[in-house]
Amino acid sequence: MLELGPIFRALLRQKVGAVLIALQIALTLSIMVNAIFMMQQRSEQMARPSGLDEANLFYLSNTVFGENYNHKAALDDDLRLIRGIPGVLDATQINAIPLSGGGWSMSLQNKAGEGENGIGVAVYMVDEHGINTLGVELIKGENFQSTDIEWRAASAVDWPARTMISQAMAESLFPGKWESALGQTVYINNNEPMQITGIIKTLQAPWNGWDGVERSMLVPYQLEGRNNRYLIRTEPGRRDELMPIIEKALAESDKNRIIRSVTSLEETRNESYRGHNALNKILMLVIVVLTLITAFGIVGLAMFSINRRRRQIGTRRALGATQLQVMRYFMLENLIISSLGVAIGVGAAIGLNIWLVSKFELKPLEPQLLLAGVVALYLVGQLAVLYPARKAAAIAPATATRSV
Amino acid sequence: MLKMKQLGKVFHTGEVSTHALREVDLHVKEGDFVSVTGPSGSGKTTFLNIAGLLEVASCGEFLLDGDNVNLLSDSQRSKMRNQKIGFIFQGFNLIPELNLFDNVDVPLRYRGFDAKERKRRIEQQLELVGLASRMKHLPSQLSGGQQQRVAIARALATSPRFLLADEPTGNLDSQMAQSVMALLEEINRQGTTIIMVTHDHGLAQRAKRQIFIKDGRVSELTAVDGLHSASLHSVAPLPLHGQTADAPRVAGV
Repeated sequence: MLELGPIFRALLRQKVGAVLIALQIALTLSIMVNAIFMMQQRSEQMARPSGLDEANLFYLSNTVFGENYNHKAALDDDLRLIRGIPGVLDATQINAIPLSGGGWSMSLQNKAGEGENGIGVAVYMVDEHGINTLGVELIKGENFQSTDIEWRAASAVDWPARTMISQAMAESLFPGKWESALGQTVYINNNEPMQITGIIKTLQAPWNGWDGVERSMLVPYQLEGRNNRYLIRTEPGRRDELMPIIEKALAESDKNRIIRSVTSLEETRNESYRGHNALNKILMLVIVVLTLITAFGIVGLAMFSINRRRRQIGTRRALGATQLQVMRYFMLENLIISSLGVAIGVGAAIGLNIWLVSKFELKPLEPQLLLAGVVALYLVGQLAVLYPARKAAAIAPATATRSV
Repeated sequence: MLKMKQLGKVFHTGEVSTHALREVDLHVKEGDFVSVTGPSGSGKTTFLNIAGLLEVASCGEFLLDGDNVNLLSDSQRSKMRNQKIGFIFQGFNLIPELNLFDNVDVPLRYRGFDAKERKRRIEQQLELVGLASRMKHLPSQLSGGQQQRVAIARALATSPRFLLADEPTGNLDSQMAQSVMALLEEINRQGTTIIMVTHDHGLAQRAKRQIFIKDGRVSELTAVDGLHSASLHSVAPLPLHGQTADAPRVAGV
């Protein structure tokens, strides 16, 4: 038979320790739930697909220092060389690498004119091999043709007449009817028209913390310059093998250059989310430490309470309590303390979340997470009190008649 | 009702063995009121603990209502204590955080009575000991005698057939002690078997039977022409009523 009433009334007369533990539980719950929520949001960000064939992509930088350098011819030679190496699926010159943290952005608008609202977009300049090299999915329209590719001089400020944009960008430009974006004319630099000739399912921008990270566009450009970057896609499983081979082949094909920063997309992703990972680890550590402190607090309070009540426990045993009933007493006592802590903690967690939402633009706390936190803390409480409760159950009934 | 045959209890502390009880043979019948006296450290409390199933004997046989309790599990002994035995302790052993109602309720909950039945029994027992009007009071708000009365109410609440009292008047003044003793006698008259450990030979003499423990050995004192003699050893007369002594002088020992 449950003894919740007498346990509760007894706790009311010895409330200092119980209230302190309840507050500890409340603090742990409020911080734990919000920390997990922040971790969850970061994990969701990290799990967002970039749209690329990340596992088989790598890139390298090429810096030329020779005299009489023919940019266009050298670029064509390099790309021909790379694409000809067995195991390479495709390659393109590109101005920026998704997730790398550095790139170009412009804004597109539906109507020409300086007063029109533009929508920020990441710009990737690629040739007709761009789609295949990136591994993105073209869901509407068609890829660039080789005839579409324009040569962009280092000093150029104009833009080509065609573009492919991501679905998210299409949705931003044409809310609720992204499919209608195909064939539409949009404007870059306020007044320069570009026709949308393709829509890509997903292609993330270089900046993972940007709220428009899903908005990007491909522009049919090859770039003049002594520094350029090649993005290379290999057959599955051959990336690591081909990275040094291609680096060496390029270096040997022209002694007047340096090949550097040979980096896989996976490395770039890891680097890009290093801050997120570190914060998640710190938050996890905070949760673990807080939970342990709470658990040890519960153990300490329960052990203190049991040592103080040895005679009382012996008396209960003498009056007929089984060992199981003694254990149950302490576990129920903990359940009551935990319930008080959880009740305060739920309020505190919601309050803390409201503050975090207002200060850091986080999403509101999910009720399921709060519920999971409540269940977790009840479990922590019950597990923590298990050892003291077993100690209490082991107190001999003869303790009731001992004078000391 | 209670039979002990060649019962012994040995405590081991490191390499030292202490024989707290030796070769105890005792038969307590239904309705008996047995007082247990003996010097400090003689084994009275150990005897009471074993009789009350709080400890297990090291050797011998102990039958309670025909059940060999040495063969019972801890859980079975707990249930038997709850169903058949009531305890009264020298220090009352009330739970300080609980009011009188909840204190008397403790063994009833372990018995598994429903709330209505528990309430009826608690009120009945507190009425019996004259404390029904104070059931919401805490033990600390009562005198020693009143606390012992609550302990008696608690012991009787489960309607035990067997009441074990460990120095029930030890912490009370003589007036309170007489009052508690009168209550125990009344309880015994109503059919409850009582074993009472006491240092007070005056109170001990009011029991129907008296046993004496010395060095772990139990002997029964029987009244012969106003004197008492041991069934195992001849003994000198006990001190006069109301006087206390640790041990009667045993002739020839």
